[in-house]
Amino acid sequence: MSELKYKFMRITLITICLVFICCSCIGTAAAEESRVGFVKNVSGQAFIERNKVMVPAKVKDELMENDVLVTGRIGSMGVILQDNSVMSIGSNTRLVISKFIFEPAKEKLSFIAQIKKGTVVYLTGLIAKLNRSAVKFETNTVVCGVRGTHFAIKVEDPGI
Amino acid sequence: MGCKLLQRIQKISLGLVLLVLMMSGCASTTQVVLLPDPDGKVGVLEVSNMKGSQTLNQAWQATESVSMDRAPSEPKILEERQVRQVFREALEAEPIPPVSFIIYFRTGSAALSTESLTLLTKVIDAIQARKSTDIIISGHTDAVGSIDDNYHLSLRRAKAVADMLVKRGIDRQNIQETYHGEANPLVPTPDGVPEPRNRRVEITVR
Repeated sequence: MSELKYKFMRITLITICLVFICCSCIGTAAAEESRVGFVKNVSGQAFIERNKVMVPAKVKDELMENDVLVTGRIGSMGVILQDNSVMSIGSNTRLVISKFIFEPAKEKLSFIAQIKKGTVVYLTGLIAKLNRSAVKFETNTVVCGVRGTHFAIKVEDPGI
Repeated sequence: MGCKLLQRIQKISLGLVLLVLMMSGCASTTQVVLLPDPDGKVGVLEVSNMKGSQTLNQAWQATESVSMDRAPSEPKILEERQVRQVFREALEAEPIPPVSFIIYFRTGSAALSTESLTLLTKVIDAIQARKSTDIIISGHTDAVGSIDDNYHLSLRRAKAVADMLVKRGIDRQNIQETYHGEANPLVPTPDGVPEPRNRRVEITVR
């Protein structure tokens, strides 16, 4: 095999991989606003990222769809959502509230969270009670369908 | 000969580097653990990806997934202590779940009974345990009487409960009141039918 051909192959392979990695890691952000819940407690480095702007989280802060809950090396946060479910995150965590619809009268119920990294504990509320397939937690490797009720998820820091 | 071997080694190491890159870029191990509810019951979780699916239905049962193209691992039961260690921070930050109470009333009345006053003590305990700043009080009636009268009756019922909580030291700023008249019955009835279960005030402490 010629040296040139080998070099070319190597460059192509690396490029394909880099493109693949980038594509899989850049999320899309749609901005639709509705009250999702509120912050119940914070400690250490805890933030809410909204429209790419990160602000320190405070007790009673309102949460919206597409908000990202973020904690630093030392930090944690507990939140209560509109359907009376409760969620908390440990340090070094990134969780996206991708979707939250709670309109029981119209039977519109959905909660989807994406865990990018870190630790999360969740206790279901009315959405899961009224529709057993409406709550989902997604990570890079699995989808967690929540039929009930109390669970913990840890996603290793992918280090990017 | 030696050159070929060197090239092969180079190829293999390049492959390894790429594999590591892809794994770190696109996947990181996920661990899912089913916890018992605060009241001891245990729910059900379905953990799945394109390659397979696992069901968790026992307390402290866990599954792991290392990549999207490998099925989640066979569930196994972990030691409670180990789980509590891994999730310590999140568990310590977990809010106490919201709780609801219902106070019932006699026909046409907004007066609190002795039983209701006892229940309000429990409501206050719940508020204090949660350091709650989010207390929702909603007043309701049954379908006896006019819609307009019932709206005002539901308002007086909610107010009676809110006033009593404030009298016992709860900050009014943390209370939200809503009045529903006969529009949101617990037990739907035809118009004009008395139904004690609908003559109520609901209190949610979050």
